[in-house]
Amino acid sequence: MSNVWKIIIRELWILWKNPIYGFCMVVFPILVVMFFTSLLSQGMPEQLPIGLVDADNTSTTRALSHRLDAFQSTKVVEHYATVSEARHAIQRGEIYGFLYFPKGTTEELLSSRQPKISYFYSLSAKMPGSLTMKDLKVISSLGSAAVGQATMRARGATDAQIQAMLQPIAVDLHMVANPWSNYNVYLSTVFVPGIIMLFIFLITAYSIGTELKFGRSKEWLHLADNNITVALLGKFLPQAIIWLAIFFSYEYYIYGVLHFPHEGGAWPIIRLGLMGVFSSMGFGIFAFGLMPSLRMSMSICSLWAVLSLSMAGSAFPVMAMDGPLQSLSWLFPLRHYYMIYQITVFNGFPLLESWFHFAALAAFMLLPWLVIGKIKNAMLNYVYIP
Amino acid sequence: MSIFHNIADAISDAAYIWRQEMRQVLRDEGVLIFFIIVPLVYPLLYSWIYNNEVVRDVPVVVVDDNNSSLSRQFTRMADASADVKVLCHAADIDEAKSLVSRQLAKGIYYIPSDFDSNIYGMRQATISVYCDMSIMLTYQAIYQTATSVTQTMGAGIQISRTQPVTKREAEISVQPLAVSEVPIFNPAGGYGSSVLLAVLMLILQQTLVLGIGLSAGTARENNRYHELIPIDRHYQGIFRIIGGKFLCYFMIYAVMGAYLTMAVPYFFSFPQLAQWQYLLPLMLPYVLACIFFGMIVSCIVRYRENVMLLVVFVSLPQLFLTGISWPQQSIPAFWQSISWLFPSTFGVRAYVRLQSMGGTLSDVNVEYCALWIQTIFYFLITCIVYRHQILLARHHALERLDRLSRKLEVQEQIKRRKKKE
Repeated sequence: MSNVWKIIIRELWILWKNPIYGFCMVVFPILVVMFFTSLLSQGMPEQLPIGLVDADNTSTTRALSHRLDAFQSTKVVEHYATVSEARHAIQRGEIYGFLYFPKGTTEELLSSRQPKISYFYSLSAKMPGSLTMKDLKVISSLGSAAVGQATMRARGATDAQIQAMLQPIAVDLHMVANPWSNYNVYLSTVFVPGIIMLFIFLITAYSIGTELKFGRSKEWLHLADNNITVALLGKFLPQAIIWLAIFFSYEYYIYGVLHFPHEGGAWPIIRLGLMGVFSSMGFGIFAFGLMPSLRMSMSICSLWAVLSLSMAGSAFPVMAMDGPLQSLSWLFPLRHYYMIYQITVFNGFPLLESWFHFAALAAFMLLPWLVIGKIKNAMLNYVYIP
Repeated sequence: MSIFHNIADAISDAAYIWRQEMRQVLRDEGVLIFFIIVPLVYPLLYSWIYNNEVVRDVPVVVVDDNNSSLSRQFTRMADASADVKVLCHAADIDEAKSLVSRQLAKGIYYIPSDFDSNIYGMRQATISVYCDMSIMLTYQAIYQTATSVTQTMGAGIQISRTQPVTKREAEISVQPLAVSEVPIFNPAGGYGSSVLLAVLMLILQQTLVLGIGLSAGTARENNRYHELIPIDRHYQGIFRIIGGKFLCYFMIYAVMGAYLTMAVPYFFSFPQLAQWQYLLPLMLPYVLACIFFGMIVSCIVRYRENVMLLVVFVSLPQLFLTGISWPQQSIPAFWQSISWLFPSTFGVRAYVRLQSMGGTLSDVNVEYCALWIQTIFYFLITCIVYRHQILLARHHALERLDRLSRKLEVQEQIKRRKKKE
């Protein structure tokens, strides 16, 4: 026990002396939290620029385009003379889409010849593109409805009748747990832990690897009486406490201060933080044990962590990936973290539903046992080659 | 004569440094990973991940309290749509919810018991849609399928309610104004086609910065006095050093750049509307800006591994700053100005417009100019930091020389004294 204590003191000294630890364990994670939560603080993008090509230019088409201005997520920034001009504006990145009224729209409308209006949008950037599409779609069907509405009102129909006639079946949408479809909730709950996990991976491998690099490995093991378990315990206890402090402050910030949805309550959040930190440390130690070289293990850790941001399946779902990738996703701690998050924290379903992912994270915590002998051997016998 | 002589000298020195740097890249496995293996393999992995582009057959549960021919028609049509698959029927909402909590279904369609009586009674009928909001794409699939199915069914109902003389008359009375939807770029709305192009450009920048940083770190560690620039006959003069190193990186990334921006989209059939006469002038300042940016970063790192700690985590924020995942107009001004520091911000925007929208160079004029400004700016800073490094190395060398000569002097004095005695 006193050995563990000695190593803890030594480790604290190392963490204090080398500024890279302070940056990677405290400063950068806080920066990343601030970055994502402030970047996405709008929740939904507002006032996306769109254009208008009004070749008809009558009071009817103008009335419709005025309505378009009232939408929250888009804003008409420019009127173009022709479709090709508007298309060029999309290519220049000035607008995401535009509405087109051909010449004679109103005339054909009044003489019941079913004119055709079009809306154009670009999905090159998917999210702004689909938001633009939604608004343009609504405004064009409103245009169609407005005409029908006028006729029916003239015939003396009530509002309810008009509604039932124009839209016989309505969709009553319930967006469970995130009724604002707030993007901050989607992205900051997965990408921020993903980057913190990246730091945990890297710093874990780095802190073992630098013992070799700076020729302190024998001294380190000597303090532990050549007991590698004691050595690792002493080394990672102080780090774990710092990581947990960072992780819990992040969770407190998003759930406590920003009030992100957490149907599951506080306990699943704490449990998830613990699991996330310890499984990542387990992975970091395992990666170093697998390839006891500072540079290789750190390369593996960074490549794995960057891949896991995609393999978590929070943006593009895992179920839409190819079969082999679906199985491969099990090898990424962030994937399990995300599944447990969305089952127990976001949706508030019982813990039992996520048992598989829980077991997987527990397995990541136990991984170091497989390589502990190899690490000891490396520490005692390897020589660092630059 | 001496000017020509100097120039020839400089060129041969630069070529020497070029060879040295090339040799070091090939010898150092860390650098090799980031210069060769990652740019070759990573894009393939990402392409594989996003290759399916869209989400199909999202499982939903149907709770049909109505059980009429109309409600069954809705279920059939939803099941027949490309995006949604009806997993099963549930007896009530609670049973359906338990299927969602077990991750078997992503949403619930609830058809209330008065569904068909409302329609026949000319009242508005409703269908309730409950979505698991944990993934945006599945939510969109479930919701959009519900709207399009109810619209199609609604149009049929509307027609059956009118008493037209001709079919055309019925059509016009239901829809006096026809609407056509034209998705002009990335028409299928593929996720991969939208994100991957940005990822490719970002991989180019990040691997370059990592590789240059690692190689500089190795050079420092192999140097006896931990200097970035060795004291050597060939390493005299900033332009020779920068030029030599630059040629090495440029040589590798001329190939890698072509592979990333042309070959990978070709392999996986991602959008490839860019014409080479526009792509080439864009890639030139982009690669140049990335190289000089990397050389500046490489001067900051003391130990080679630190560059990974600094560079890797910035990738994701950089991707967000390009405006592909989050619209450029909605990025707060502060982060907007930070984003101007990175070549990727402009490189990605311009490349996506060329490749996915078939733009011309004049369409990306702002980004193109910004990249050249970055190139010049970063080149000047590179010169300054390298000059500083050279002076530092020289200063340290002089100090050592001074110390040595003083040591020698002292030794000689001792010797002389001994002789006297």
